[in-house]
Amino acid sequence: MIIAEQKNLNEIKNLIGDAENVLVLGCGTCVTVCFAGGAHEAAITAASLRMATKLEGHPRQVTDLTVQRQCEWEYLDEAAEQIQQADIVLSLGCGIGVQAIVEHFPSTWVAPGLNTTFLGLPTEQGVWMERCAACGDCILGLTGGICPIARCSKSLLNGPCGGSENGHCEIDPETPCAWQLIYDRLKSMHRLDALLEIQPPKNWRTSRDGGPRKIIREDLRLPAEES
Amino acid sequence: MPGDCHYLEGNANAKRRVAHVQHLLQQIGLEPGRLRMFNLSSAMASQFAEYVEEMTRQVEALGPNPLRIHHSNTPLTEEET
Repeated sequence: MIIAEQKNLNEIKNLIGDAENVLVLGCGTCVTVCFAGGAHEAAITAASLRMATKLEGHPRQVTDLTVQRQCEWEYLDEAAEQIQQADIVLSLGCGIGVQAIVEHFPSTWVAPGLNTTFLGLPTEQGVWMERCAACGDCILGLTGGICPIARCSKSLLNGPCGGSENGHCEIDPETPCAWQLIYDRLKSMHRLDALLEIQPPKNWRTSRDGGPRKIIREDLRLPAEES
Repeated sequence: MPGDCHYLEGNANAKRRVAHVQHLLQQIGLEPGRLRMFNLSSAMASQFAEYVEEMTRQVEALGPNPLRIHHSNTPLTEEET
């Protein structure tokens, strides 16, 4: 899932500026699960803003609403009236949610209430860790299902580097060495021979180096007259 | 008492959550000392009374809720009460 963190209230207040009518829009999917931008967090953020702006002597009208997914326009349609009436929408969705609102409601000013952080999973309650870098050319089949792009600090394809020490990374001793994890996993599965093959340099054009990415599925597209 | 909660780790969880709310109050502009957590059992009546007096003294020293002062002519919202 997409993992995000809330911005602090001072930064959010600066983003809101002089807007009188603020809609805090939560998202019911990834950021709900990581406790950053769901209905609960939207209500707390709205209440905090009401109190903070009142204490500053300039109370604002701050309401909150949560849609199932901010990253799909049809779900945003359910909140169209509230979005269009607001001076500003504070999105508690990820960066995709913010941009989906901007694209669907071009006359609405939208600000992010979250910092979208990474693609990952909860490893224990209250702890989330990165697992995927969305590089566009998955090599998990070569590495025993452990991603060296996202989890090796240097994204090495033929690791480990010389900085791997006691199974941990030289960048951060709290971080497990991804290549140690890969080695241990392949060894436990009796597939160490997979490491004998040297991986060539990765084609990074499928990642950010190729610019904004796009997928077109002709089998799913609607005929021009229907779309 | 800490580590000896009827709900096992319940008061340890509550302690972290109280700290989180105190941080939130600070960001809002309210004194975090308006919220405190005291550990005691249901059999500690005199200790309970002491904590209530201590909290009362602390809140009196902080003064009235500034959210009420600023707009005393408008009805209080749920979060202000």
